[in-house]
Amino acid sequence: MARMKFLSALAAFLFCVSSANAHEAIFAWTYTTDLTPKGHGEFEQWITPRWEKEHGSYSVIDFREEFEYGVTDDFQIALYLNHHYVYANDDFPVANPAHPKKRLPGVYETGGEDVHAGHDPATPFDSYHFESVSFESIYRLLSPYKAPIGLALYFEPSVGDQETELEWKILLQKNWLEDRLVWALNINYELEFEKEEEGEWERDGVFEWFTGISYRFISNWSAGLEFWNHHEFADATVHEHSAYFIGPTIHYGGERWWATIGFLHQLPIGQAFTQDNKEFAAHDGYIFGDEHEEYYVRLRVGFNF
Amino acid sequence: MTKSEFAFIALPISALVAPSTFAVQYLTVDQAQRAIFPGKSLTAAPAKLATAQRKAIEQASGVRVLHDEQQVWRVSGGGWFIVDEVVGKHEFITYAVGLNANGSVKQIEVMDYRETYGGEIRNENWRAQFVGKTSQSPLKLDRDIKNISGATLSCRHVTDGVKRLLAFYEIALKQS
Repeated sequence: MARMKFLSALAAFLFCVSSANAHEAIFAWTYTTDLTPKGHGEFEQWITPRWEKEHGSYSVIDFREEFEYGVTDDFQIALYLNHHYVYANDDFPVANPAHPKKRLPGVYETGGEDVHAGHDPATPFDSYHFESVSFESIYRLLSPYKAPIGLALYFEPSVGDQETELEWKILLQKNWLEDRLVWALNINYELEFEKEEEGEWERDGVFEWFTGISYRFISNWSAGLEFWNHHEFADATVHEHSAYFIGPTIHYGGERWWATIGFLHQLPIGQAFTQDNKEFAAHDGYIFGDEHEEYYVRLRVGFNF
Repeated sequence: MTKSEFAFIALPISALVAPSTFAVQYLTVDQAQRAIFPGKSLTAAPAKLATAQRKAIEQASGVRVLHDEQQVWRVSGGGWFIVDEVVGKHEFITYAVGLNANGSVKQIEVMDYRETYGGEIRNENWRAQFVGKTSQSPLKLDRDIKNISGATLSCRHVTDGVKRLLAFYEIALKQS
């Protein structure tokens, strides 16, 4: 935890001293159809702490550095570096040796998706890992400032040492009240190929949708609400669970820089569908296990050039 | 939430709320008046819209009226000078419109513009597209007014603003 405090303090310090003045992500999770204009670029820093499982300690900070460039006014490309820090201790339900598909009631060990394979589950885990590189492209078909609704298509492949992902999104945006009230909807599908201990690759599918509404209540400042519903499919076919999240977002936009912070809380209305998820992930309506955490905070800061 | 978890969230939030804005003005009202009507004397003639007038302007222009009070000056020898503001991406954009005695646009000047992109909105070539427009003109982006890369919202709002002011002239100024 001391290390996490240090990292968050470092992040706060960096944002305080960065030279002033950017482009626009008014939501922390939901994309709008606003793009970087032709010939312009943007650097964006993402920091996403997520924490709390059903037991023990579990905290992750996901970092993303994004370099964005407008190829045309309606076509944008970006490169992402993805890495994270994780601390886990006594957080994961232990399987009953006599019945591996059942948990041992009240017994936990150190585990989770971000804990390296081979780690002694009886001891805490603390590690930083460079995860992958992503390449994003977004093509806007309709601008919300000219058409009744904005529409864009998104594609993002990611390549890492443990995981390769392909992600597709449909982005929709509708504005009202002189464009001060913005609603956005993202429909996403993701194929993940994870490297197993035996060296084989496991395939997972994710279907999720994000939606947000935000209002610019005074010059430069917008506030809103975001909602996320996540469905995971083992082998991209077997529906494992559905988890729900909701929380506020606040955004500041200046001439040369902007910042957005959003908070999401998992709602205790999640549903587990497979026996494995029912036994090891579902807990009092939440979906934990090696799937989700209870709290998520995301800070994004962008600098335009 | 534990104390350390609170600090974990609170520190980045404190960094986020720290920034503040400051205004940059390119033209004062006096400078805009002299740029549009050089050598003319102008007399303040502020207008307050009645509900019926506001509705008529909105109906004629298709643009919502944000303020019932409008800063207007009468120009010696005929014509009007109006200062108005529209919503920009981040802040309000303040601009001035000079109308000829027949109600057509003589010139527009952008007084305040502090957006990330689209500084070209202040360029003479972009502003010149409005010259001669009347309440009968389409005033539509990508039709009779060109868009500026990365500043679609600002361009549309200024275009809508001029359309609204031309309707304001027809309904509130023409007969006075």
